[in-house]
Amino acid sequence: MDVSVASVAKRGRTTEIDFALIGHQESWKAAADVLTFLRGPEHSPLPDDEIKDILPWIPPRAVCHVEVESITGARARGLYIDSFIPPDHLDGAYVHDNLARVRGAAACAIKAEAGIVSLGGFSSILLEGNFDQLPQRHNTVFTTGNTLTVGFIVQGIKRMCDLEGRDLRTSTLLIVGASGDVGSGCARCLAPLVRRVLLHARNLERLRTLATELEARGVEVEVATDLDQFSTKADVVICAASLASPSLMLGRIAPHALICDAGYPKNLSPNAQMPDATIFFGGLGQIAGGLKFAPDLHGILNRHPFPNVVHGCLLEGMALALEQRFEPFSQGRGYITQDRVEEIEAIAARHGIYLAPLYNAHGPVEDGVHCQLPTQKSFSTTANTHFCC
Amino acid sequence: MEPVVGISCSVENECASFTPSAPIWQDILAQAITGELVAALNYTALAEICDDPEEVADALEHAAGERGHAAAFAAEGRKIGLDVANNVDAKHWKRLREAFMQCITERDFIACLIVQEIMLESFAVASYARVGKVAPGSLGQTFAAIAAQEEEHVDHAMEILRTERAKDAQRFDEKVHRLHLEVMTTLAKMLAKECKDGHCEVCHGNCVKPSLFEVSLSAAELRGASLQQYLKTLDRLGLPGEVTLAWMSQLPV
Repeated sequence: MDVSVASVAKRGRTTEIDFALIGHQESWKAAADVLTFLRGPEHSPLPDDEIKDILPWIPPRAVCHVEVESITGARARGLYIDSFIPPDHLDGAYVHDNLARVRGAAACAIKAEAGIVSLGGFSSILLEGNFDQLPQRHNTVFTTGNTLTVGFIVQGIKRMCDLEGRDLRTSTLLIVGASGDVGSGCARCLAPLVRRVLLHARNLERLRTLATELEARGVEVEVATDLDQFSTKADVVICAASLASPSLMLGRIAPHALICDAGYPKNLSPNAQMPDATIFFGGLGQIAGGLKFAPDLHGILNRHPFPNVVHGCLLEGMALALEQRFEPFSQGRGYITQDRVEEIEAIAARHGIYLAPLYNAHGPVEDGVHCQLPTQKSFSTTANTHFCC
Repeated sequence: MEPVVGISCSVENECASFTPSAPIWQDILAQAITGELVAALNYTALAEICDDPEEVADALEHAAGERGHAAAFAAEGRKIGLDVANNVDAKHWKRLREAFMQCITERDFIACLIVQEIMLESFAVASYARVGKVAPGSLGQTFAAIAAQEEEHVDHAMEILRTERAKDAQRFDEKVHRLHLEVMTTLAKMLAKECKDGHCEVCHGNCVKPSLFEVSLSAAELRGASLQQYLKTLDRLGLPGEVTLAWMSQLPV
């Protein structure tokens, strides 16, 4: 597959839609909030049972327009398109229905003549390696956005280690979901920086392939399909499993472990009892130049405690649109390398897209004021502007 | 108008297989027949405001087709020993009819097509298709066949409406919204999981909705499928998805 820089195309756009973001809601509460907002204050909110009855019938479609501003002054305009995958259908049993929904959402993006489309959350998982299943694409290109997600996960791990005075070089790193695109990308980027790497996934063959690749670079690697086999051995954990798995409780974890939950939906149960661990949500970036939504779904499409926060996978498409690089930057599975991560991080940084302040289910784990924002202007004008899909 | 479907099984067998659920099918058929008769009345009225003789002929042909559908549904009722009633003056249907007739009064051919082909037919196509999947024997075949025929109507109207929208999209979309508020609000009340405004005046006894599960249907499914069909039809017309999503979100439940 061609993901080389040589494939980069800079081209003038004639359409009003530079990018599209395809996503879905993580929970019924999030879905209810979107529909309640669209319903308007003059109508009574829809009861929960009605939302659960109605949402699965909504065809994929645009929900709102999004405008992102670069610190260079450049702007890009886009659409947020929801596939309306029911939040409780995010598992393998519904894969064909979900794939049809993502294809429908992709068709909406193509119809809107979006220059580049980011596939958020479950959408990218369904299409990793299956790009032939997308509708006719014309001038629209698709990216899973996973490369920038990996970049922000790795940056987050490093920042948390700095904050807690941990030495990553002496750490044992466990990656849950290591055979996936994000998990394997994290492994490639972090393996040279840690003492030892433990890889977990359901597919042993893929794990062994990745382990062989890392071992060839002198990394000490172990693989397992049984999480309990080595979850207590790791002091740094990245959860990047593809599905919300109730079994992924990480109940047996080393004391004082650092855990990055990079899943969407979150891999870790909110009820997980890990009192001695430090948990943060990974893979999120923040846009210094700000975001605008029409209609104004600020704080509804997202639930981050800091402003202008968006998942890395979606930010990748926005950064490429701001850069006028309409190329399928991240496609397939297992192609994410350190070089590619650095390349997309540099593009993002040029436009003021940086690692978001870190937080978890209980709130911020840092104050957020040290984020590399050149000005605080956007905070005052777009307070509560968060975005997650 | 071509015949709807052939009869493929004996009357005795049909009766035997329907006996326990016959009252439910009776009400489903009553709604379908009423809807078809309202459509026939609408097309007949539409013929009166058409200037082009070809359009007049089309409208009258459609009216005859809808009457044929009503007759086919009535025949299915008789096969299971039911004399299915209809009531074009039932409160919701009457309101829908009045909305259409307002368009006739305004001699607004495009508005008539939007109401009948985009709104009412979306409801018919989707709900008949769902019923067609679960209804046994020739009843199911009849619903499925009529659903397919109604879909053809929509395809025909889409060409006219897309051409009209291309002339002035904003004006067209505003017209659709105005009609949506009137017609789809009424349809949404009809399709609500519970009839909150009292008896619909079509069901022969108590409301059929709570009993639909006995024939593998549900009011929520029929509403969901109908709204989905409506949104997809609006998508095909070119209306922005984010706009029609908001419209749908604001409908009564």
